[in-house]
Amino acid sequence: MRTGFSRALVASIGAAVLVALAVTASRTAGQAARATRIDGKPNLNGIWQVTNTANWDLLAHTVKPAVAQPGVYANHPVLAAPVLALGSVGLVPAGVGVVEGNEIPYKPEAAATRRENGEHWLDRDPEVRCYMPGIPRAMYMPYPLQITQSPGKIQMVFAYANASRTIFLEDAPKPPADKWMGHSVGRWEGNTLVTHVTNFNDRTWFSRAGDFHTDALDVVERFTPITADALRYEVTITDPNVFTRPWKMSMVLYRQLEENSTLLEFKCNEFVEETFLGHLRKNQLVKRWEGDTIILDVTRRVPEGDKRYER
Amino acid sequence: MRRTARFPLYLGGLLAAVTLATAWEGTTVAAQQRAAAPAAKAPRTAWGAPDLQGVWNTNTALPLERPREFGTRAMMTEAEHAKALADLQERNQRPGRDSRDVGGKSGVGTEKDVARAYNEFWFGDKPTRLSYRTSMIIDPSDGRMPAYAPEAAKRIADKRDFLAALLQGTSGGRPGPISPRRSERSPDYNLDRINRTDGPEDRGGPERCLGDNLPVTMGTGTFGGVMQLVQSPDSVSIYYDVGQGQGFAWVIPITNRPHVPKNLQLYHGDAIGRWDGDTLVVDVTNFSDETNFRGARENLHLVQRFRRVDANTLQVEFTAEDPTTWVRPWTAVQELERADEKTTLVLEGGCHEGNYGLLGMLLNTRAAEKAFAEGKGPDPATQDNATGGGGDN
Repeated sequence: MRTGFSRALVASIGAAVLVALAVTASRTAGQAARATRIDGKPNLNGIWQVTNTANWDLLAHTVKPAVAQPGVYANHPVLAAPVLALGSVGLVPAGVGVVEGNEIPYKPEAAATRRENGEHWLDRDPEVRCYMPGIPRAMYMPYPLQITQSPGKIQMVFAYANASRTIFLEDAPKPPADKWMGHSVGRWEGNTLVTHVTNFNDRTWFSRAGDFHTDALDVVERFTPITADALRYEVTITDPNVFTRPWKMSMVLYRQLEENSTLLEFKCNEFVEETFLGHLRKNQLVKRWEGDTIILDVTRRVPEGDKRYER
Repeated sequence: MRRTARFPLYLGGLLAAVTLATAWEGTTVAAQQRAAAPAAKAPRTAWGAPDLQGVWNTNTALPLERPREFGTRAMMTEAEHAKALADLQERNQRPGRDSRDVGGKSGVGTEKDVARAYNEFWFGDKPTRLSYRTSMIIDPSDGRMPAYAPEAAKRIADKRDFLAALLQGTSGGRPGPISPRRSERSPDYNLDRINRTDGPEDRGGPERCLGDNLPVTMGTGTFGGVMQLVQSPDSVSIYYDVGQGQGFAWVIPITNRPHVPKNLQLYHGDAIGRWDGDTLVVDVTNFSDETNFRGARENLHLVQRFRRVDANTLQVEFTAEDPTTWVRPWTAVQELERADEKTTLVLEGGCHEGNYGLLGMLLNTRAAEKAFAEGKGPDPATQDNATGGGGDN
């Protein structure tokens, strides 16, 4: 436990640093200049989001249909029914990948499960059901998160599904049960926040591509400021049930700098009721449920303008 | 030690009764105004702000509204307090939901007995302390919620009629034929426990895992709630572990930006926090019609105040204003107690993730309709699936 003297010392050093670094401070959301350090540590407070495509696929990938069916050429699939009418909006954006060595070291039987997961993505991905995303996935979903940093705890709240996590820096309690978001214990190593996350259940995924884990998952995260408004985010994944060795991801989280930036809710559970319970309505809204199978009529009406050229 | 573990088990169909029971039992207040021990000085953060942080809950009984016998007196006398405490202790000895009587008679095996499901275990430890306050409400001076504005009174009466119509002809409703109103849409965005399961929207907000609303007043016992507050110069981040998996995260930015555009309707509203001396003042607007705070829907305007009274006490006050619901604003206050963070854990809700209750209600109702159509069971419309045991009170 820290003594009152050392706390006061840290506070005064912190205050000195505040003054010293005020020039490099950033501004957001109607606030006065934000100090780059707080209580002697890098100031992570703010709203953050990745700009990558890791949530779609952790590995390097070119643009591809979100749901695919075979095209004329085997290696050039086309959009399939659930997203067919969306056209360009139904595509997964390309990404150079976030995994070190661009390879996830699955055991052979786990590789087969991952492949099946990818093929049955819409049926199996917990994100489609608006379930809590787990760690690290919550950190690189395409929605913002807000960090509230204090010396003893760091609270992260995610727009998606109102998910949240607490990183305990002091006096971490023992978790009584597994959690969707895991149990995070953190410490500072110089300018890097290092967290160890355990006590996961086996229900969350790493991406829409079907990357999965068991409840033996062990996650180590490293958050290192690159600038006042960018954080290097590195993750080491260990799960001996699924992977032959630990493997690493690396990416960057960016701070939202808009003056009116605020964490708006992405409240999805009421919207997925139709997807997962629609067939149990007395009077169906979607008319093409056959038992527990939804029959998708993908309709695209050719617009008047296009018709002129199609005559 | 308080039992503070949260149970992921979700038995769809009974939560509304639980919520009512908890609210009735007494939303509570913690620190006694008359506590003899001198208050330790309220701590401050490393950056000099009042430190509101910690895990907070309460084991002190206090009703939201004042019993009429106290009139405009906000505090009890010693004699009144002693008597009220004795009454509370006597009530704590009663079997409560462990009793299977319905209306004074044995209800074993009846529809209401089966529907009740929860016994006292689920409600956790009983409150052992009683506030000297006579009510959480401190304004108006009679300690009671102000009258509803005419349009709200009509809104609420319309809904009450609709709820009654759906129960007509069942064991929980008035006698009569099955009402033709069973095929009508709810007059409001339904969040209540209604006696119909045509689709997910017919089930109550908690059964759909929509989560609790602001403002949160804490009760005692397992369903009473625990709140964790983490603070920085930029924001205050609260997690309310309340209800039964109805918990939610609420971030209050400390900012002077204006509220978001009016057309944004948000489940937890748009919060803007600022410091007024040692008090965090939070202005919340932009609510959604999917919320219902004692009759107020999307037009609710809340001003919440958080103040660290001493090392072990966090005072939380709210003023609720909505001219379309109440004839005047009203204010309530609650003092929360600092909990031992080693034993009082704030756990993730996981309500939606484990919501087999909603699935079960829909599935069972469709199965019952099918059985009835085949002449194998009663008409589901004649069954009471809403009043949940009836004999609770």
